[in-house]
Order: sequence, then structure tokens, then C-alpha cells
Amino acid sequence: MASPSEPGNRPDEPLDLVRLCLDEIVFVKLRGDRELKGRLHAYDSHCNVVLGEVEETIYKFEEDDEDAEPVTIKKQSEMLFVRGDSVVLISPNPPS
Amino acid sequence: MLFFSFFKTLVGQEVTVELKNDISIRGTLKSVDQFLNIKLENISVVEEIKYPHLSAVKSVFIRGSTVRFVHLPATQVDTALLQDATRREAAQAGGKAKLG
Amino acid sequence: MFTTAAQLLDLTDKKLMVVLRDGRKLIGVLRSWDQFANLVLQDTVERIFVQRVWGEMRRGLYLVRGENVLLLGEIDLDLDDVIPEPYEQAPWETVEALYGEENEAKKRRERARARKLQALGFEGEGAGEGLY
Repeated sequence: MASPSEPGNRPDEPLDLVRLCLDEIVFVKLRGDRELKGRLHAYDSHCNVVLGEVEETIYKFEEDDEDAEPVTIKKQSEMLFVRGDSVVLISPNPPS
Repeated sequence: MLFFSFFKTLVGQEVTVELKNDISIRGTLKSVDQFLNIKLENISVVEEIKYPHLSAVKSVFIRGSTVRFVHLPATQVDTALLQDATRREAAQAGGKAKLG
Repeated sequence: MFTTAAQLLDLTDKKLMVVLRDGRKLIGVLRSWDQFANLVLQDTVERIFVQRVWGEMRRGLYLVRGENVLLLGEIDLDLDDVIPEPYEQAPWETVEALYGEENEAKKRRERARARKLQALGFEGEGAGEGLY
């Protein structure tokens, strides 16, 4: 499949970009303190999505320590529905 | 309507609903409506001791807007079918947008 | 519209545990409702669990506006009023005061966390909604 970021594949509207990511690994940033990486199987206009082979990253902070680095927790899920109102962004290029 | 139809195919399956207040409730999906409100039966609460108010509760109605995730059984999801349905829905929505 | 009749019909006249957006827990009998999930609860009591204690206050007849409802749980009458370990009942005033203190501390922690998360480009999960 052609990469969604190649010229000639320019999407008409924002969600067309998401359509080009179907069956690809995407990066999803959520409200709160979470990020997801997984294979995109479905989405709709509310940005509700279903991801497979998901890796969830949660950022936690040590309490009462202003300068502490966040601790990251990783969780796996085989298939995950994500409600669209938590979604901040969807990107075809997961940060490595 | 895509996800409403999708969840209807999962009725009877074991799912875990994770709410925005961090409670995770596992149970059998009994019904879903177009707002993605969810009813679960025979529930168990992950980390029950933190949420004692749910210990006498056997079934719940969860307002859709309070859901963060629903963890699904991968074996019950036909991903090829789901992607096709998504493309169809996207095509329909796109057509509507251009007409309107 | 936020719900469909079929979803609430079979909860009518049942004893329910209702969790509200601000974290309150109400227990009462569902007598009436509409498509917004506005609820009328009879013989309502409010319950607070905090640390290792719990308390209860009679509230009577309530109409709850639907948008404030997070979750409705049908209470299994066989398990009714089974309070899990290690929670012990305490006077309402004690529990309520303790709960207030906990909430203040929680709010302070949340604010500190939000500040740190902002540096990572995260946005809060709705203004105070569903924090409980």
C-alpha cells in the first residue's frame, strides 16, 4: 500500500488521512495521560476507533516531587475500542 | 452507526469496559444503543477493593460518554469485515459532505 | 436523546446504585425515567466510602438530571448491604468530613499532575468530569 504521506495521495478532508491508515499501525494520543500504538481496523466521524495489537503507554508521576521524570507503564491489549471524545490525534507515523 | 452495528455483533461476549474515572468493569455485553450506552451482566470489578460501592451490583448500565476503552475478544472480531464496513461508511459520509 | 427506552425499561422499580459525575453514590428505587436518562429515585440514601470507613445519609425522593449520571448498577438483593472488608460503618459527619479532606488532597494532586502532563503535550480528560 502507498504511504499516506506521499504526494498524489493527498486527502480531501482530515478523516481521509485516517482512511488511508486502515490496516496500518497508527499512533493515537489521548486526553488524560495515555498514548496508543496499534493496527487501525475501524474509525468513524467522531474519531471512535478500533485498534488491534495495541500497546498502551500511561504516564505516571511520583507524588509530591515537582522535578521527577514521569514513569511510563506499558499495557497490551489484543483488541480495543477507543471512544472518540478521548482522542487528541491520530498519526500514521508512530514516534520510535 | 458503524460502531453501533459493530457492538451489536458482540452482544453475549465477555468485554472489559474501562471508564474515564479509571474503573474497569468486566462483564457479558447484554445490550448497546445508538449512543453507545452499554449494559453489562454478571459484572466483576477489577480492583474491587478500591470500588466497594459496586460489590452488590450484578449488572450495570454505563453511559456511553463515560467510557474510555472497551477491551474486546480479538477472536470475535472479523477485522477484514470491519475495515470494509469502515471504508463503506467513510465513502457514504464523504458523499454526504460533498452534497451538503 | 441519550438513551433508548429498552435500556432502562427493565431497571424500572429495581433498587439501583447510581454513580454521579461528581463521584456521589446514590442508592434508591428507580420509579421513573425518560430519554435523557433523567431519573426519579425513591427512598434514596447517599453513601460515601473513604479510606476504611463508610457512612450513609437518608435523602428521600430525588430527581437526578440525566447528564450527571455516570453509571447505573442493579443491586443484587441477595448481596444487598454486604459491605466488603475492610470498610466499617462510621457516623455520617465523620465520613463526610474525611471525604472532603481526601477530595481536597486529590484536587491538589490532580492540579500538580496536570501541570506536569502539559509539558508532555497532554490535555486533561474533560474539565473535572469523571475524575472519581
